[in-house]
Amino acid sequence: MSLVERAPRAPHRAGSALRAVARAPGLLLSVVVLVLVAVAALAPSLLTGQDPLTGVPADKLLPPSAEHPFGTDQLGRDLLTRTVHGTGPTLRAALLAVAVGLIPGSLLGLLAGALGGAVDDLLMRFADVLLAIPGLLLSLALITALGFGTTRVAVAVGVVGVAGFARVMRAQVLRVRESAYVEAAHASGTRWSGVLLRHVLPGAWGPVAVFAAVEFGTVVLAISSLSFLGYGATPPQPEWGSLVAGGRDYLATSWWLTTLPGLTIALTVLAANRVARALDHETREAP
Amino acid sequence: MRFSHPSPVRRRATVPAALLCGALLLAGCGANASSSAGGDAGEPVEGGELTFALASAPTCADPQQVATNDSLYPARQLVDSLTDQDPETGEIVPWLAESWEVNEDATVYTFTLRDDATFSDGTPVDAEALRLNLDGIAALGARAPLGHSYLTGYRSTEVRDTHTAEVAFDRPNAQFLQATTTPALGLLAPATLERSPGDRCTEVVGSGPFVLEEYRVNSSVTQVRREDYAWGSSLWEAPGAARLERLTFEVIAESGVRTGGLSSGQVDAIGGVAPQDEATLEASGLTPHRRANPGLPFSLFPQLERPLVSDPAVRRAVSLAIDRQEIVDTVLSPSYRPATSSLASTTDLYADHSALLTHDPETAASLLAEAGWREGPDGVLTKDGEPLRLTLVWGANFGPNQPALELIQQQLRAVGIDVVLRTVTAAEYNGVREEGDYDYAWSNTTRTDPDILRAAFSDTLANFSRVDDPALEELLNEQNGTVDPEVRGPLVERLQGELLEKGYLVPVFELTTVLGYGGDVHELDFEASSRLQFHDTWHG
Amino acid sequence: MGRYLTRRLLQAVLVLWAAYTVSFAVLYLLPGDAVEIMAAGGGEITEVTDEQLDAVRAEYGLDAPLAEQYLDRLGAALTGDLGTSVQTGERVTALIAEQLPATLRLTASAGALALLLGSAVALAGAHTRRPWLRQTLLSLPALGASAPTFWVGLLLIQLVSFRWGLLPAIGDQGWQSLVLPALTLALPTSAVLAQVFAKSLRDAWEEPYVATALAKGASPARVTFRHAARNASLPALTVFGVLVGNLLAGSVVVETVFSRTGVGRVTATSVTVQDIPVVQGLVVLGAVAFVLANLAVDLVYPFLDPRVTTGGAVAR
Repeated sequence: MSLVERAPRAPHRAGSALRAVARAPGLLLSVVVLVLVAVAALAPSLLTGQDPLTGVPADKLLPPSAEHPFGTDQLGRDLLTRTVHGTGPTLRAALLAVAVGLIPGSLLGLLAGALGGAVDDLLMRFADVLLAIPGLLLSLALITALGFGTTRVAVAVGVVGVAGFARVMRAQVLRVRESAYVEAAHASGTRWSGVLLRHVLPGAWGPVAVFAAVEFGTVVLAISSLSFLGYGATPPQPEWGSLVAGGRDYLATSWWLTTLPGLTIALTVLAANRVARALDHETREAP
Repeated sequence: MRFSHPSPVRRRATVPAALLCGALLLAGCGANASSSAGGDAGEPVEGGELTFALASAPTCADPQQVATNDSLYPARQLVDSLTDQDPETGEIVPWLAESWEVNEDATVYTFTLRDDATFSDGTPVDAEALRLNLDGIAALGARAPLGHSYLTGYRSTEVRDTHTAEVAFDRPNAQFLQATTTPALGLLAPATLERSPGDRCTEVVGSGPFVLEEYRVNSSVTQVRREDYAWGSSLWEAPGAARLERLTFEVIAESGVRTGGLSSGQVDAIGGVAPQDEATLEASGLTPHRRANPGLPFSLFPQLERPLVSDPAVRRAVSLAIDRQEIVDTVLSPSYRPATSSLASTTDLYADHSALLTHDPETAASLLAEAGWREGPDGVLTKDGEPLRLTLVWGANFGPNQPALELIQQQLRAVGIDVVLRTVTAAEYNGVREEGDYDYAWSNTTRTDPDILRAAFSDTLANFSRVDDPALEELLNEQNGTVDPEVRGPLVERLQGELLEKGYLVPVFELTTVLGYGGDVHELDFEASSRLQFHDTWHG
Repeated sequence: MGRYLTRRLLQAVLVLWAAYTVSFAVLYLLPGDAVEIMAAGGGEITEVTDEQLDAVRAEYGLDAPLAEQYLDRLGAALTGDLGTSVQTGERVTALIAEQLPATLRLTASAGALALLLGSAVALAGAHTRRPWLRQTLLSLPALGASAPTFWVGLLLIQLVSFRWGLLPAIGDQGWQSLVLPALTLALPTSAVLAQVFAKSLRDAWEEPYVATALAKGASPARVTFRHAARNASLPALTVFGVLVGNLLAGSVVVETVFSRTGVGRVTATSVTVQDIPVVQGLVVLGAVAFVLANLAVDLVYPFLDPRVTTGGAVAR
């Protein structure tokens, strides 16, 4: 593939993405779920008109109905409203976690791939060590040192992703670096940093974005697990993991309190993974 | 996904009894619940095993070093106390001590011990052992969170003869006799006392009807019956060895899993039945057994050194803004009572001060307005540009704490007070209270003697609220200066009212201990302090 | 072969050393004051004075310069001493040794179950002729990987144990109490395995030797089991180490949900009370599990990979 061919690809890609969505109803559904999740995070009041923090105590623990599709909790708060309003904090934590992995991880990968030699060896051995410690255990160690709270949990979860991003980025840098157009640019006298910025980074970005999408699903699960264990959000702020955790005291009587927020988490992760797979497919097909 | 355990006959029989219990908590109804449930059960069964599910992990096996109820349930069975207290009449009766005398000003207590009791390592329970124990508890200091306050002003124990000892205090200490009924002052073998406090947490030797077999941190406590146990509390049906051969306490943190475990027969009895599970249990023929805990109700304790709550108007408004009945109705169950005084209604010398604990948001709002608070952005009151935002620190020692506090948060928000809930772990809780970086702290304490007020507010003891009030201090000490209820009663009544008027605590609801077990478990008895005694218990 | 093994062992030791160092850095260098956490972590101590802090510093050797502390601790760790629990005063190695068997039973059953489920779904998916069934089977792994473990556990307790009364939800006595936790723990791992298997089965079918076998008259089932399955197990082996680590980490959630004893439960409580030496011991345990699993893979690999066995040279 040459430099000349790169320019007109954007519209082509958008078109094929649309076609891909139309071909696969599962993918379409996943996109719809993610759009809903995004709306819930940015403008929760568009989806629900009720108050997530103040309930009607007399209407406590009502099973799902037309008025309360997810039922109500122990204080008579609408559970759907709380789940919708919990999307923002959950998503912000997840994005923070992805960023905490993505930014240092890609930088390390970029450095390792671009500089090579001893730097590469050292950085990649470091990544190997991080991968040798099971992710959740590393997060737990970080939480022990940092303390509790959603932000700290997000950081602790994000750090686990650093090694993964570094590896993906490095592999891409190496691949792109050896491709003809970069070699040509290098040979034509462009400075290395320029080559890196103009050619290597844009070329490497696709697979890193795919990895970020996969990572998004992973961190949502990890953050909700840690919230469930009690290291996350403070009441009364709703957050997906702590909603499930709060409902488990009512396991014997009010199934909806754990089941429905849990289902929301599962669906979101499923949708994110499905979209990540489609993205992966796209980047692979377009060489 | 509800349970459906069809046993309608049983249900009809138990529901009215439960309602009666809820209405007549003052009479110590729960104490007899087990015997009445076992009315048609026939002859007690000797031997057998029982598995009891605890809601939280015991912090230590040593009864002298623990404070949480879930730690005290297993620890209680390992030791005998000098005396016992009748849960219905409040009367102090013999156990290890056959008799006792108290001098006029409650500074000298003389105990005569029975001569046949031994620790499970074979050494005798005598006056010397009593001396070593009391000296040991005094030396444990803060590591004996309950015993430490029971021994305020402790001078010494003199051994008069092998079985007679004289306990002397520098100052009057009227509550000490009731304190000798508690496991915190239970007697341990001298060999155990020589070990380090940490070692005693997993290996402890007492003279009680059960012997510690295995203590697994955060997981379980196994105890076996002591076959040569031949004495006991005069409240028990008969002295001698316990009926159960083996007693296992399993830690099951999830209340839903505890309830389900009981319904499906995986455990025999459970503690900490969540309010929402009581109906489920009743529907499946597993009657919940309840007893209101005496002592301090669940309350908000102000940190009086902080600027916002140092204002009496704010403290009064907080109390008026809280709708105690709504909290009981919403997050608790009919087994619980809203607080009606600084003391829970089953405490000795309790006096009703419900007139001071009304729900009156209008008055609360006008009090705050008079104090200069004006409506600010998003409905929170402000003064000099500063919002009326209070930090409330709490730990998860009781399941409904979180929903109760979220509801309190809503109720205070309705009068313009913003509450920030700060959750801490049990391990952090004490440290956070020491630091004092909060406005209100949430807790309760179980004790049948009203002296719990002194333990909580005296500036030589815990001083939960950081009170600096010499008049109060004097009153606290005065009530501990006499054992005569005629004199002590009015003092304690005045004390309860004064604490409320000054807003040194904001009581919200009384803790009720709710146990669940099936018809095959009998005579699982509540002590006077609503903790458990397994000596007479049998499993049919 | 000997030199290959020596190199692998050496690498394993290096990774362990580095993991120990990383956990030390995280727990002892980060902003939270290890000493304050430890002094308060004892539980019943109500007031932490400066003298007490100094006493704790001395007790745990925290008054020495960091480099010295690190070397001391590393030296002790080499002799099998990972320090003492702040909460219980028990030796960390003894604590782990006491709790490990229960967790090993859980993770081993979960691992076996995951292998069974994962390969069954992949094989059935590759073999069925009904498109809808194939589609359903192949989308199962994605579902399994998306459901939070704690939620699956709670659902299983609710349905299987409470509602249908089939299996106990709690305790660690007997095989019955192992079924639900093992299944909960196995699900995410089985999802990964099923995805890996399904992909390599697809790839294997395009290999020339499969075509040859088919041309020689072997039945598709026989080809799958004799040739493709064996080849498909190779990629699965490469993720074996990660999966073992995940199973161990997953036990934190599963043991909490099912009120079981084990290192997972110890981890959860140690984090809650910030018992730093125990947490570090558990992180090191996780790294040991990962490293041992990879060593095992390195040993098995030459026997499974036809290129390694026929070519006589180690390709990795």
